[in-house]
Amino acid sequence: MSDYFLEAKNISKAYQGVQALDGVTMHIAPGEIHCLVGENGSGKSTLIKTIGGVVVPDSGELVINGRQFERLQAIDSIREGVQIIYQDLSLFPNLTVAENISLNQMVEQKNKVVNWTQMHRIAEHGLAEIDEKLDLNEHVENIAVAKKQIVAISRALTQNAKLIIMDEPTSAITKEEVDHLFSVIMRLKAKGIATLFVSHKLNEVFEIAENVTVLRDGQKVGDYPTTDLDDRKLTFLMTGQNLEHKPYTPPETEARDIPYLEVKDLTKAGQFEDVSFQIRPGDILGITGLIGSGRTEVALSLFGLNQPDSGKILVNGKPVRIGSPEDAKKYGIGYLPEDRLSQGLFTEQSIGDNIIITIVKELLGKIGLIRGDEREKTQDKWVSDLKIKTPTAKAPASSLSGGNQQRVVIAKWLATEPKVFILDGPTIGIDIASKSNIHDIIRGLAGEGMAIIMISDEIAEILQNCNRILVMRRGRVVKDIEDATDVSEDELFNIVSGIDPNEGR
Amino acid sequence: MLKNALKHNETYLFLVIVVFSLGVTIVNPAFMTLENMFDLARSSSATAILAIGFFMVLLSGGIDVSFPAVAISGQYIAVNVLIAMGIDNLLLAFLISIAVGLSFGLINAFFITTFRLPTLIVTLGTLNMFHGALLEFVGTKAVNTGGLPDVFKSFGKTNVLTLMRPDGTEYGLSIFFLVLIIIAVGTWLILRFTILGRGIYALGGDPEAARRAGFNLNRIQVFLYCYAGLLAGIMGIMHVSLIRYSNPNYIVDSELLKVIAAVVLGGASITGGKGSIIGTLLGVLMITVLEKNLVLLGLSSYWQQFFVGLILVLGVSVTHIQAKIRNRNRILVS
Amino acid sequence: MTDAKRSNNITLLIILVAIMGIMAIFLPDKFLTGINFRSMIRQFPEYGLLAFAILLAMITGGIDLSVVSITSLTGVVAAKILAAHAVIGELWGVGPWTVIFLAILSALAVAVLCGILNGILITLAGVPAIIATLGTNGLFLGIAIILTEGHGITGFPTEFLFFGNGRVLGLPTQFVIFILVALLLGLILTRTAQGFRMYMLGSNPLVAKFSGVNNTMVLIKTHVLTALLAGIASIIMISSVNSMRPGYGQAYLLLAVLIAILGGTNPAGGFGTVLGVTLAIFALQAMQSGLNILSFTPFFKKFIWGLMLLLVMVIHFYRQRYAATKGLGKAPPQKPMEKAEAG
Repeated sequence: MSDYFLEAKNISKAYQGVQALDGVTMHIAPGEIHCLVGENGSGKSTLIKTIGGVVVPDSGELVINGRQFERLQAIDSIREGVQIIYQDLSLFPNLTVAENISLNQMVEQKNKVVNWTQMHRIAEHGLAEIDEKLDLNEHVENIAVAKKQIVAISRALTQNAKLIIMDEPTSAITKEEVDHLFSVIMRLKAKGIATLFVSHKLNEVFEIAENVTVLRDGQKVGDYPTTDLDDRKLTFLMTGQNLEHKPYTPPETEARDIPYLEVKDLTKAGQFEDVSFQIRPGDILGITGLIGSGRTEVALSLFGLNQPDSGKILVNGKPVRIGSPEDAKKYGIGYLPEDRLSQGLFTEQSIGDNIIITIVKELLGKIGLIRGDEREKTQDKWVSDLKIKTPTAKAPASSLSGGNQQRVVIAKWLATEPKVFILDGPTIGIDIASKSNIHDIIRGLAGEGMAIIMISDEIAEILQNCNRILVMRRGRVVKDIEDATDVSEDELFNIVSGIDPNEGR
Repeated sequence: MLKNALKHNETYLFLVIVVFSLGVTIVNPAFMTLENMFDLARSSSATAILAIGFFMVLLSGGIDVSFPAVAISGQYIAVNVLIAMGIDNLLLAFLISIAVGLSFGLINAFFITTFRLPTLIVTLGTLNMFHGALLEFVGTKAVNTGGLPDVFKSFGKTNVLTLMRPDGTEYGLSIFFLVLIIIAVGTWLILRFTILGRGIYALGGDPEAARRAGFNLNRIQVFLYCYAGLLAGIMGIMHVSLIRYSNPNYIVDSELLKVIAAVVLGGASITGGKGSIIGTLLGVLMITVLEKNLVLLGLSSYWQQFFVGLILVLGVSVTHIQAKIRNRNRILVS
Repeated sequence: MTDAKRSNNITLLIILVAIMGIMAIFLPDKFLTGINFRSMIRQFPEYGLLAFAILLAMITGGIDLSVVSITSLTGVVAAKILAAHAVIGELWGVGPWTVIFLAILSALAVAVLCGILNGILITLAGVPAIIATLGTNGLFLGIAIILTEGHGITGFPTEFLFFGNGRVLGLPTQFVIFILVALLLGLILTRTAQGFRMYMLGSNPLVAKFSGVNNTMVLIKTHVLTALLAGIASIIMISSVNSMRPGYGQAYLLLAVLIAILGGTNPAGGFGTVLGVTLAIFALQAMQSGLNILSFTPFFKKFIWGLMLLLVMVIHFYRQRYAATKGLGKAPPQKPMEKAEAG
């Protein structure tokens, strides 16, 4: 009998020739707070799904609670106490908090009739286990994301969870909410419930985890107690590289004297306030800050999808009104959305068609018809310019890897020859190799005179690629760093988190 | 509690109905009489039963437009069997009609669950299949009042509550209303107090989450489409008892738009997951009151289609524009 | 043309040839005659145009359930003007062709208004296409009924019969109109900005919005186009029976949807071709003629069309599964149509 609650031994899984997992072994003790880290494409998702019984591995075995499973099914996993909270939380927006917490249990117990008193009691009990209180009658669609997580965790507890797996739980919640979540995890620990926390945000890993398993390219790099690690070491383990890039410096040209875009006192109630900045050709302006800081909201204002209440936007010194993405295009502003799959790509359509959607008008001939030869030429040009790995531009966009898909979205906007290109989280969900390729593309564009705004969560990415940085918090610009070389990684981290290093935390 | 009430669509609908009725009463005092209320109840119960069935399916995120064909098929087949066998039994009529309803519902459920086909297209196909089959294989001849078995006529005349007018004649609250209330309450109980019922809401809210929670989605859908068929079968018998005439071309054209308009007006969401029985009933009430008053206001029946269509369009536009205004400050709302 | 489209159209061609082959074998004397063929190409343009309308709506991920009522309404408008040709002729001193021209223009103008209404409801009011067009279906038909008080209209100038009963270069006029419209639509869909945007919007309205497409304008134009097709169909309809009654053509809705789907159109949006739908129209007309020759009633036809709609979708289901297992790239998904939203 081992001491561990969960043992995954030598798990391997391949998908269509790609080895997602290669002989990965991991164990979690009862009540342990364990973190699974790795870059995108490292195999984290697949490993979780294997533990949850959702994916069957090609080889390897799983031992849960001392019981060995050859072919683990989802129902076995749940019965043993493994609960997975997916990133989308799988809640019912149209049902109440009480129902969301209790329904799973009632369905599992094969109840036929609903006893509302019992439903509420179960929900209260689930919440109480983690010292939480919520309005049981509120519909889940009306509550904040952080509260939804509490609902999801409570739901997991009603089914006697012994291990709760959370897949990237902090991607959409504020710093305070993250702290709150961590205190909940500690309460779980006090009850002997283990937590497996999947994340790529290193600072959070250090804050909460006891042990860390690092995956890279489907293989396990190692298991480490958190105390043995630091930022640099962990990054090295995750990426296999010591990322020492020279920071970006803009080219010295005359065009750089005049700001192309200027934003003055941009305000929108509830989102951002008095945001002002300028950007010149060749700049790579990084905008960073925690969730809820208003970065994307400001970007969308510049793109015409989020009308500000007051303030001015000036292009080449002239005030403009950007009422729609069409207007933005007219003023030479392009936007790479945060979520490329649901906002950036027509996944079922061909790569070529994805690229030309922004410039159809320019492909029209004399009588207003699309010129077939121009169309093909343009499509092929962008595929080769951006080195998009595909046999033909006619293949559907869904056939590409994450990194290549992102290049398609980039190509789509480069085709409009933008003067300002706003990139919102350009390397989210992209493997390391593609990530640095995309950084090279971005730096190349700026070097040729394009003004770039890069919105990102990753301090390292910002420092490597930007010559200017704006830090936002709660909708306001709290720091405007004119020269990125003036600030160190630790300093920037402190500014972003609002930590004053001279005070105790 | 008042604040809670104000949050609901149903409250506003109720107020609209009240205001509208007051307006009509001013023009025509004969509207706001108990007798007229009884009459409204009698003539709208059939539509309401169909609306409840449609509402259930809509709740789950689906849509079933085949119900009028199911209803008329159940009716016509039951009537003809009774005539052919020379039996004059109401229970038998109901059993036959319900059996037809359940079978057709099962056919719908089969195509929808086995092949995961879009529910609108499937039921558009079965609407025509059922109706075409009825007309082709059973017949096209209408059965007039004279030829109609007596049970239907006496069922139509049955009242649960009888009152006397000043001149000695009687009027009453039809048994149809009682049937409706039983069905409405029963359906409400299912939705509110059974896991199956909550599963319907869950399915309409997020099918993937419902699957993960362990709900058997196929079983829920089979239940839904069969239930809709069952109700359509009941309605068929009620309908023939109401109008004392069985024409296999009826119901299909007249009820489809009315029922959908009523359910949507009653606050049910097109995409599923939201709505209530009360709302559905109020929606039917609104449509019926409107229809009756078109006649009272001197407008010919030609205006009916127009008005129901107009109401559907206006009603839904208003709800959606309201939602848009509410979400105005939220970016990225599609 | 992508591989998927080509394979779909080839399947259709095979189906068409198969149906015609079966008809030819079982009914050699009646089916393979000049009379029959001439009759067939006279019949299908009416509903064929409506099938094109459904194609356009489905490409954008929506549907237009009001096309048959737009046909009624525009038909009534044209009919009223035509029926008064003698009076108008005297009043303005113009000949019958001018009146005919006026009637057609008015019908198309009304169609445009109907299309704009549908478009506005779907885009600015944000009403889901099913409900919006279901409502306007009742609305338009209702107006048509009110205008005619339920009666039929007759008394058109004899010249008007040209559209439904005349000939151009030896071919029935409506057939020529159909071919011209088909070519024009094909051009619009494959070679214009509007057509391109329609496909992309249908694939994903949110991504289209993020790409700078004006979803509102694209959809309004789409519904104006579908309404115009319905308007043209109505002219052909009333000319071929030389009269007009509101409600005539209501049965074509199912047929139009069936044909569009048989023709490879994905109701979830983003895919569909004129060629595919045209082949489907031919296939269905062949079947229809066969059923007519065999003296099947309109009721049986209703039954068959309903059944066919189901079977076609089941076949699509298996073809997609087959394509997926062979790893032929991802086939268009089966999103429930009710959940498709417009920008």
